[in-house]
Amino acid sequence: MINYLRKVFKSGWEGFMRQGFLTFATALVIFIAVVLGTGLLFFQGGVSYLTEQIKDKIDISVTFKSDVPRDTILGIREDLTSLNQVKKVDYISPEDAYNTFVEAHEGDEYMEALGLLSVNPFMPSLRIQTKEPSQYKDVSEFLKKEEYAGYISEVNDYKRGVTIERLGELTRSVQVLGISLTLFLSLIAIIITFNTLRLSIYSQKEEIEIMRLVGAKNSFIRGPFLVQGFLCGLFAAIISFMILTIVLFIFNKQLTTLFIGFDSLAFFKGNVLWVILLQLFVGAGLGLISSYFAVRKYLRD
Amino acid sequence: MIQFKNVTKEYSPNLFKEAKVALQNVSFEIKKGEFVTFCGRSGAGKTTVLKLISCEEKPTSGTVLFDDMDTKDVKKSEAYLIRQKIGFIFQDYKLLSYKTVFENVAYALEAFDFNEKLLRDEVMQVLELVGLENRANCLPKELSGGEKQRVSIARALIHRPEIILADEPTGNLDPYHTRDIVKILLKINEAGATVILSTHDREIVNALEKRVITLENGRIIRDEEKGVFSL
Repeated sequence: MINYLRKVFKSGWEGFMRQGFLTFATALVIFIAVVLGTGLLFFQGGVSYLTEQIKDKIDISVTFKSDVPRDTILGIREDLTSLNQVKKVDYISPEDAYNTFVEAHEGDEYMEALGLLSVNPFMPSLRIQTKEPSQYKDVSEFLKKEEYAGYISEVNDYKRGVTIERLGELTRSVQVLGISLTLFLSLIAIIITFNTLRLSIYSQKEEIEIMRLVGAKNSFIRGPFLVQGFLCGLFAAIISFMILTIVLFIFNKQLTTLFIGFDSLAFFKGNVLWVILLQLFVGAGLGLISSYFAVRKYLRD
Repeated sequence: MIQFKNVTKEYSPNLFKEAKVALQNVSFEIKKGEFVTFCGRSGAGKTTVLKLISCEEKPTSGTVLFDDMDTKDVKKSEAYLIRQKIGFIFQDYKLLSYKTVFENVAYALEAFDFNEKLLRDEVMQVLELVGLENRANCLPKELSGGEKQRVSIARALIHRPEIILADEPTGNLDPYHTRDIVKILLKINEAGATVILSTHDREIVNALEKRVITLENGRIIRDEEKGVFSL
């Protein structure tokens, strides 16, 4: 068995090394498929980043009456935090609100108007973020309870409701589009790779016939083609990994600006194992599986 | 060793080709150690006979027996068991283009799971026999037609087959190389192998003075011991 595998690997390696143009052309197409696959991983990363960014922008602000004690507001905050739908609740004291306003409006006419007042006009509030944009309705219903009515001055969900809903729809659409695009492009990558290997093996069909005529078993004929397909894929994966690494290190700043703040290099570093596995799977896996199906045609009974 | 019993081979029509009857009701027997030449014009059915022997094709009707085994019962994936008893020599050499002379010859042995340690000596011995020991590391594209054919012969001989099937082996060669190849085939036959040669070369057929089966339009019109070319 070891002897057989050694011969198969040797023969596959010889084919890979000596069939220069054929190897190059096949590896190039697999390289494109690997780049496409890797691009899709980054695309998914970008979509997740964008979705999170959008979700973070969606919040419900509850403003309390000025005479409501801080402990009561913190109690309501506890009640809200215990809800499954709620991701985060921030308490904003009148002082915090005042400071934030000053920072944002330093030197403009709003500050002049604020200066005319002798007291802090801001009221305490809670800023609530839900896990999903659609859950804001549940939270606003929760806040309509009788027991809270006496404390709450305003819940601003009604004004922002439409925007929240639209943003929610947008994130869902981006996700669906991302998944659909991933599936569609993956299918194209598989079809292109398979057909390239089929053409490559078709060009060697006479050689397969010769191997059969000199008395080689099907497994002995198939083996080197599988090794060759695997090596082409491996070669393509290694080259694409090297190019990706170089591009990300050199052009990260420009890419971050281009992708609205999505840091591709940080994503790459955080997912380097997945990137390697994906590239190996797409490259070597596609090469191996496509070769198997392409050569099977000539060895069938 | 080989028996054809009322064998007919028809090729069914397709988009590009009309239906063709390659062999019609052909019967003959070839005994172990014989040297048989099939002669006839192009399209007479010579190559079809060889393809039926090697299980490349199955008869439309009739029976082809190889060592008493009906080739109709042999699956494509098991045809190697028959082919391992055969050495092929082709008009167009059929060498693996990206393998060297040595590797082309060795491939036939590797396919047999031959002992690796003895492989090199065996291959070099056969290459010496055909006078190509100095061309072992060349690729087929670096060889002349005659040299390619000698590689093809070396490959056919390497596993010491019971039968040599030679399909127009001199078709692409000049008279000088043709004589060489015929001499090698006679030597192989003297060593005990059955040789089945297909040719339309009058000189060769007449010089051999061996059994000649003449085919015309897929039928046997003559089968003579020590026959001559007559068409």
